[in-house]
Amino acid sequence: MTEMFSTLFGQNEAQGPPGSASLGFGPGKPPPPLPQNQGSMTGQMPPQLGDEGPALRKPGAMNEPFYLLRELPVGNELTGNTNLITHYNLEHAYNKFCGKKVKEKLSNFLPELPGMIDCPGTQDGSSLRSLIDKPPVCGNSFSPLTGALLTGFRLHTGPLPEQYRLMHIQPPKKKSKHKHKHHRPQDPLPQETPSDTDPKKKKKKRDDDPDRKKKKKDKKKKKNRHSPDHPGLAGSQPNSNSLR
Amino acid sequence: MAEKFDNLEEHLEKFIENIRQLGIIVSDFQPSSQAGLNQKLNYMISGLQDIEKCRQQLHEINVPLEVFEYIDQGRNPQLYTKECLERALARNEQVKGKIDTMTKFKSLLISELSKVFPEEMVNYKAIHGEDAPS
Repeated sequence: MTEMFSTLFGQNEAQGPPGSASLGFGPGKPPPPLPQNQGSMTGQMPPQLGDEGPALRKPGAMNEPFYLLRELPVGNELTGNTNLITHYNLEHAYNKFCGKKVKEKLSNFLPELPGMIDCPGTQDGSSLRSLIDKPPVCGNSFSPLTGALLTGFRLHTGPLPEQYRLMHIQPPKKKSKHKHKHHRPQDPLPQETPSDTDPKKKKKKRDDDPDRKKKKKDKKKKKNRHSPDHPGLAGSQPNSNSLR
Repeated sequence: MAEKFDNLEEHLEKFIENIRQLGIIVSDFQPSSQAGLNQKLNYMISGLQDIEKCRQQLHEINVPLEVFEYIDQGRNPQLYTKECLERALARNEQVKGKIDTMTKFKSLLISELSKVFPEEMVNYKAIHGEDAPS
């Protein structure tokens, strides 16, 4: 990726483009101050530059033939001419986010967060936007619940109705890089993960292995049959058939 | 800076985990679970107190509102960072292209003007320094 930067902005970008300093865009020398008579010259110029223009300019042309001449921009100003990502040391962030594919879903960013977090927040009223639009009442301190207050949290025995069990439904995880810090005994198992599929592949390989061995054995036996120093042909044949 | 975030992250993780366990207790409530439920409720309150304390340390942190939109849509907020960086680089390239083009144009203009108006260009160079065409 850094190669891309260098190709886009060149190796010597710190020094500016060739000739830029001399042209006043680079960090070279600051522009010399304008002669004092230039301001007055500008003031003398008529708004209309018709035929009288050259005549009026003539006396000024001794020293200064120009009007409306602006000062050149200061060379050391930070512009888009420099690679701003490099300037602010953001190459690492650029390579991190733009170098590889970032997974689309929120659950990929917060893999350990329980619940269906990939659904739009507006559906269940859990959006952060609603938190901004209707900020919660703040200022009250949190105080622990005493015995009398806890009586309000006495629950009926039995399972919750289905619609309130969303908390425990986890989206199917494809890959979990981080190990879960906490043990979650009642979590439903993820449907299919690569870690699940990998052993399957391995298992398949293992299943294939005996077949391979059989084939190898057969080949060996066939070789032995054709070889002149093989002890007995008749005795080996049924064995080979039985293996098949 | 990172410590502040780590602290908040840790408290949030603990809080979420406590809420998750609370959900499990409530999902199939048994009479014997009442004591555990009460304990979890008070853990939740202490968790909120901890998060409240973290708020004071994070006053100067600004979060772009667009990030919230990504999160609300169930999208990875890193995509916002990615798009921001890509946009910044694209704009940077555009501006650099414009500056380079204008620089070349200026150089060419000075070169051509020097051919047509040599005296004036000498005066010009006297004011603006040696603007030799590159």
